[in-house]
Amino acid sequence: MKFTLLVNGIKMNTEAPADTSLLYLLRDYLHLTGTKEGCNIGECGACSVLLDGKLVNSCLILAAQANGREVKTIEGVHALENDGPNDLQQAFIDYGAVQCGFCIPGMVLAGESLLNSNPNPNRTEIRAAIAGNLCRCTGYQQIVDAIQATAVKRQEKNSRG
Amino acid sequence: MERFQYVRATNVAEALTLLNQPGYKNRPLAGSTDLLLLMRKKPDVCDRVIDISLIPELHRIEQQGNHVIIGAAATFSEVLSNSLVNQTAPILAEACKTVGAVQIRNMGTVGGNVANAAACADSLPALVCLNATARVLTPAEEFNWTVSELVLSPNKTRIPSGGLLVSLQYPIPPLETRGIFLKLGRRNAMAISRLTVAALGRVDISGRIVEARFVTGSAAPQICHFKDVEASLIGQIPTPELMLAAGKLATEEMTELSGTRWSSEFKVPALSAMTARALARVFQISLEKVEAV
Repeated sequence: MKFTLLVNGIKMNTEAPADTSLLYLLRDYLHLTGTKEGCNIGECGACSVLLDGKLVNSCLILAAQANGREVKTIEGVHALENDGPNDLQQAFIDYGAVQCGFCIPGMVLAGESLLNSNPNPNRTEIRAAIAGNLCRCTGYQQIVDAIQATAVKRQEKNSRG
Repeated sequence: MERFQYVRATNVAEALTLLNQPGYKNRPLAGSTDLLLLMRKKPDVCDRVIDISLIPELHRIEQQGNHVIIGAAATFSEVLSNSLVNQTAPILAEACKTVGAVQIRNMGTVGGNVANAAACADSLPALVCLNATARVLTPAEEFNWTVSELVLSPNKTRIPSGGLLVSLQYPIPPLETRGIFLKLGRRNAMAISRLTVAALGRVDISGRIVEARFVTGSAAPQICHFKDVEASLIGQIPTPELMLAAGKLATEEMTELSGTRWSSEFKVPALSAMTARALARVFQISLEKVEAV
């Protein structure tokens, strides 16, 4: 089956079996290995990507369902001026929210997804937003701190115009 | 090798044609969160999936007369954030909020939850409590079943092969009706329901209960109204004792439907308390004094 997807703003073409999951298409055919395979049953959130702006588990969705649509992976999240970390990723580093790092691509996308829809979340809302992303290292506190700090900074930046 | 083929339907008529095209073992695909996992375990479930998730009319949520109609491919996220649903059936919005986590709610659909008919499906008790009906189409026929008629037993429905569940609809409850949906799981997110209860009710001017609807999920093989519980409330003045008695009745009704199981030791006291609490909240009374255990 032929695939054409807009991945991180770039039109990508490939050919793969029709039963390929979006996760495997991204990793094995498009070589975007930032998206991780954890449980492969939709429990851990390591494979989270944005499909037409909505956070989904790429392991539970067929690549065919994403055909012709827009996908954003962790490779598409970086500072606008260079390929370095954006403010949320930098906050993850600053707050010690990254230990082994395996869950972080999914966590960052879950954080971005939340901040897109709710620029001023409280801690309960942040915890609910990352409830589908498991982290076995940090105990989540630092991740919640990093998302909250980014929300505050982005709001300050926006109010300054 | 491909285990199955994929076709995307652009409208309901096309989906029905594709589903009934001979030479294939077809299955409709909506949210994919259940079907993909099932097909990994059982590759012979189908040899072609018909993607109905991008059919615009199946996402529509609208009011027609005194009914709210929800397209079968509306995602949990779409339903829980819909203002019409929140105004007319907060228990359905609450039930959708308890499903999985954001990722699952963004993909999974209410129609899929009904058609898959898991015993622990979170939207089912809310839909049955709302007396919702399901519209099922085949190329030649149309069926309108209540959701409790549609779901025969866990993972088994009346939807005929080649048929498609296109929408769910519920009559809007009277304005003064209050509803509660409670879920018991191991954690707040990503938890399979251990027990759910959905309750709706209202009192008349004299303070007597004129309507009481009570449905539980994960308690019995079939999701249905607990008639004894409902009957025990009608015409009564809500009191803490009445709610506790209803809780006990609910456990008796559960045991009647499911028999005594390994989980009964846990489920009986849990259902009793959940029932009393849900009904107390529906009828706005406090259980504090009588519940001190």
